[in-house]
Amino acid sequence: MSASPLALILEGRKRPGRELLAEWVRTRRLSNSWAAIALVVGFAAMLGVQQVIEPGTMRLLSAVFMFVALAQAWNLIGGFTGYASFGQVAFFGLGAYITAVLMNNSHLTFWLAMPAAIAGGVLFAVLIGLPLLRLRGHYFAIATLGAAEGSREVINNMTPVTGGGLGITIPTFGDQAPTPYFGKPGFYLAFLILAALSVAVSALLARSRFGYAMVAVHEDEAAAGAVGINTTSVKVIAFAVSGAIVACAGSIYAFQQIEFYPSDVFDPSFTVLMVIMVVIGGSGSILGPLVGAVGLELLSQFLRINLGSYNQLIFGAIIVVVVVFFPQGVVNFFRDAWRLRRISLLDNIRRYRL
Amino acid sequence: MIAPSAPADAPVPILEVRGLSRKFGGVWALRDVSFAVAAGEVLGVIGPNGAGKTTLINLITGHLRPSGGHVLVGGIDVTKQRPWVIAHDGVARTFQIVKPFRGVTVRENVAIGAMHGNHRDRSVREALETADQILELVGITHRAGSAPSELSVADARRLELAKALACRPRLLLIDEVMAGLRPQEIESAVGLIHQLRESGITIVAVEHVMKAIISISDRIVVLHHGSILTSGTPDQVLSDPRVIEAYLGHRFARRRAT
Amino acid sequence: MSQLLQAAAYGVVQGGLLGLVAVGFSLVWGVMNVINLSHGALAVTGAYLAWLLNLHFGLDPFLALPVVAIALFLFGYALQRGLINLVINAPIFLTLLLTFGLGLVILNSLQLLFNADDRTIETSYASQSLALGTVNVPYGRLAACGLALAITVGLAAVMTRTRLGHSISATGMDRGAARLMGIRARHVYAITFGISAALAGVAGTMIATVGSFNPTTTPGQLTLDAFVISVLGGLGNMYGALVGGLVLGIAESVGGLVLTGTWVNAIAMAVLILTLIVRPSGLIGKAQYSGRVEV
Ligand SMILES: Nc1ncnc2c1ncn2[C@@H]1O[C@H](COP(=O)(O)OP(=O)(O)OP(=O)(O)O)[C@@H](O)[C@H]1O
Ligand SMILES: [Mg+2]
Repeated sequence: MSASPLALILEGRKRPGRELLAEWVRTRRLSNSWAAIALVVGFAAMLGVQQVIEPGTMRLLSAVFMFVALAQAWNLIGGFTGYASFGQVAFFGLGAYITAVLMNNSHLTFWLAMPAAIAGGVLFAVLIGLPLLRLRGHYFAIATLGAAEGSREVINNMTPVTGGGLGITIPTFGDQAPTPYFGKPGFYLAFLILAALSVAVSALLARSRFGYAMVAVHEDEAAAGAVGINTTSVKVIAFAVSGAIVACAGSIYAFQQIEFYPSDVFDPSFTVLMVIMVVIGGSGSILGPLVGAVGLELLSQFLRINLGSYNQLIFGAIIVVVVVFFPQGVVNFFRDAWRLRRISLLDNIRRYRL
Repeated sequence: MIAPSAPADAPVPILEVRGLSRKFGGVWALRDVSFAVAAGEVLGVIGPNGAGKTTLINLITGHLRPSGGHVLVGGIDVTKQRPWVIAHDGVARTFQIVKPFRGVTVRENVAIGAMHGNHRDRSVREALETADQILELVGITHRAGSAPSELSVADARRLELAKALACRPRLLLIDEVMAGLRPQEIESAVGLIHQLRESGITIVAVEHVMKAIISISDRIVVLHHGSILTSGTPDQVLSDPRVIEAYLGHRFARRRAT
Repeated sequence: MSQLLQAAAYGVVQGGLLGLVAVGFSLVWGVMNVINLSHGALAVTGAYLAWLLNLHFGLDPFLALPVVAIALFLFGYALQRGLINLVINAPIFLTLLLTFGLGLVILNSLQLLFNADDRTIETSYASQSLALGTVNVPYGRLAACGLALAITVGLAAVMTRTRLGHSISATGMDRGAARLMGIRARHVYAITFGISAALAGVAGTMIATVGSFNPTTTPGQLTLDAFVISVLGGLGNMYGALVGGLVLGIAESVGGLVLTGTWVNAIAMAVLILTLIVRPSGLIGKAQYSGRVEV
């Protein structure tokens, strides 16, 4: 064959991995590392903040960090890959129960129980992901919802192992405790690390070949398959990474709570909160879920404290208003407004209107 | 199970379909279609609307499961393989109804093909470089930063082709990339296909634009109601009375005769 | 044996009631591809309305049905016209979120108005039963089941025989084409949602008559039931909800005989997921609504 320029393009070149790494290091600039720098600075700032706040605030912020991780996790499967799971709480409850059962029944330390919970989350994701990720849209949403409700019922009825509806308690004090209780500062740190890791993992995935594969699957699976993307494994991996993060959050949450019931850790409102945080912030980005989780968790805590019995009513109304006025998410809204130099809520309403 | 259909010393065809069939409900969209494409050849596929041309491509690339029959790529049976496996075998395609990835730019669309369609580009950066070269090749460099939804019909078709080329195929299946284009645009597309063929890519082209198909094809297969009506060189096929009856119409034949 | 018969009989009447809960939900899902997570809240709204009418005017719940139906139709029409139509073309999780938020607003308003106590509508016939050999069927449940059947048949007739029904199905199949035929999708959607809300209200009234309800747990449970039943029965067929409801009702009451604890709920979820995987178009649904992506 002749070595025409066209043939050369189509031939492509083969470069060893070492060369790629060297090139990557060489091309680092402030302009392409600012996200990593921002993450490190944010992490350090939160460590600093911890030194000056009271325990109550620490607990509040721990919850915020937990939801940052949960929102990032949901965004991987629901935002990037486009499979709106309404059953992510299954991983949360599973992680919590694996941790509690191992610490309570088998007297394992938290440091063994948490990895086991993550492994359990991955395994469950693969098991239910393989059949369910063949379903689309609403059908996937319901199937995952059903999987979550079903797993709660299973835990609920495995009384000899899980304590069933009577709940389970993790021994945390005295000689019985496999791992001493972390206390508020300890859980603040644990959830902060989890949040930072989940943001880092999402950001790395998003900028990688895998990130493009998720977007391609989201947009059109037939076209994704045609350009060589293994759509099944992309979906299952995204689901599994998401499940691992959620299971880890559930594991830490279980230890923090000490005592809980199936209805606590399988509460569907955890799933709904994940979805809302991602949607309000803006799905398919890293900043969106971060902003959504921080904003919404702070807001809902504020409502709970200041509005008493009206808080759920107001919360529902906020969801309705946000969905109607910011369907693409607050972050995307302001980014587009900045880019186009024009702010119009009416455009937003027109977008999905009949 | 699959007996060789050619003498042992003949070169293995890059694509062979044997008895390929597909039923939708009770209707055969494709029924018992067999042909082979030699490496380096350009095969045109024509036929009236609903003849089964798109179904044929979908069956070859694994986007549909055949009800019967076999697909062989380079002599290896790939029937019922998933689309990405077939893509990695060096088979790329375009979609008649264009399917760009709407969430990313034109350049990234092509890069997605480059980074997943083969094992050459191992980083996003490399894939983006490849994408720039291919955009230049198909002539939409000036739209690199646009969203796919902003493209004209012609440019959207070019993007579809660029995505397929980014996979560095040895076999390219194109489904009506020239429909609805203006004469000059068709001319440049025909030029591109000649160029691709010269660089060694085997092409199966589904097309309604007769002038284009005649100029690019070595051989033409005519589908009608899901079966092969006839096949042969462009001249043989276009003068076949059955083809004139079923597809071209007498006006076309008269115009060609003069 | 008689225990099994009793369970089966109970399952049938309960199934009819469940079908009534699901039929409106399935209609909205099939026609406009919206999963209405506020369906249970609408049903409970109907229940409160009938309860109030009974409490203050001594109105029999069956006589209250037209009032409840009309009130909820108007409410549903307004909701669709004013809110849901605004996001009808959005990705699914947005419509899910919107209706979830709506549900939250409705049920928290109810809770603020009436507190979280369990309520029931007392009638003279609720405690009496029809005895068929060894099997007892309460009159109230029997009537509720009969009503469910009548309403389903009526709805099917409306959908297949009337101009309105044709507009609704046409809009559900192809909105663009329906518009060309001069159908106003906004109005048709609002009517569809209104009908669905009215049916939810009727179902809620029946639930209040044969059992009890509260604003905290009942709405979620009803929405989930409607979900499972619609999937089981399948979309695009008015009898799908009834069939799904009967299957679920009988399975739960017979399953309750042999299974301890709440295993029967786990089984229901397993059946739901298996149905989705094996036969995504449901038992008698139309294949065009099936949700499979891969070949
Ligand atoms: N997914 C499907 N479900 C049911 N029938 C289908 C499906 N895809 C194609 N068909 C039917 O199969 C037949 C062949 O369709 P196909 O798209 O292959 O035709 P075509 O030759 O590509 O036509 P055109 O020139 O219009 O593109 C048609 O009758 C079509 O209606
Ligand atoms: Mg076609």
